[in-house]
Amino acid sequence: MLLVIGGIASGKRSFVRSRGFEDRQMSSRLSSGAPVLLDLDELLREGPIEGPAWDEVLSKQVIVCCEVGMGVVPIDAGERAWRERVGRTCARLAAASDEVVRMVCGIPVKLK
Amino acid sequence: MNVLVTGGAGSGKSAYAEGLACSLSTQRRYLATMSAEGAEAQARIERHRRQRAKGNFETVECAGTLPTGDYAGVVLLDDLGNLVAQALFAPDGSMADEQEVLARLDAEVGRLFLHADHVVVVGNETGAEGRSPYEGTQVWVRLVGSLACRIAARADAVVEVVAGIPYPIKGAIA
Repeated sequence: MLLVIGGIASGKRSFVRSRGFEDRQMSSRLSSGAPVLLDLDELLREGPIEGPAWDEVLSKQVIVCCEVGMGVVPIDAGERAWRERVGRTCARLAAASDEVVRMVCGIPVKLK
Repeated sequence: MNVLVTGGAGSGKSAYAEGLACSLSTQRRYLATMSAEGAEAQARIERHRRQRAKGNFETVECAGTLPTGDYAGVVLLDDLGNLVAQALFAPDGSMADEQEVLARLDAEVGRLFLHADHVVVVGNETGAEGRSPYEGTQVWVRLVGSLACRIAARADAVVEVVAGIPYPIKGAIA
């Protein structure tokens, strides 16, 4: 499994394309059957991903997630819980991944 | 050589970029991108001016568009966030077309890379804070990110400044 993280417009999708995946193989829906899962951060809006849904996440070849925790702590409690969830989930996924890449200005920086 | 320096707010990227520019040439031009509105902006401009005074930079004001022509020396462009804001937002609050601004600024920086001996561009890490609820900010964040990706692809080196420490992302500083 490959985890790709990075800020908004940092080149995450372009990097996944460079690994041989086409746009039709990428989906932000979990149950799409696509090998690439996009926008994990948005999937975590409603709450943590658990049980069979988590197994589904782990079955992906590539997971793409926006980094969201590098700015001001949000005033809104729901937003705070969400960014915390995104961070924790990325850490769990990174531990389970063979490869972790962080995009900086369109350039892949290998973290693992 | 053409270098992109990126980093978070207050990470020391401007100071690093200036030091780098000074090491590249004794002929130094600074492209000022910031509008001097408000006390905070003026204080920041003053701080950057004092920093630059040591380096004898010739200052060229550029409001959302970069100057053309050859330059035998180093050009310091600080920073993309302000350049994009000036190009995107009109004084009346209206917004220019996102793709047009991206294409134009990408072309202008590309031209600068060709026509100056050395260019140091300072970018901003703005996209790792979740999505802003404001449409104008969303467009600005996307533009700052996309423009940095394009500039990084062309640059000889990309450096991320973290807590004042330059961390190499691409290439090497000669």
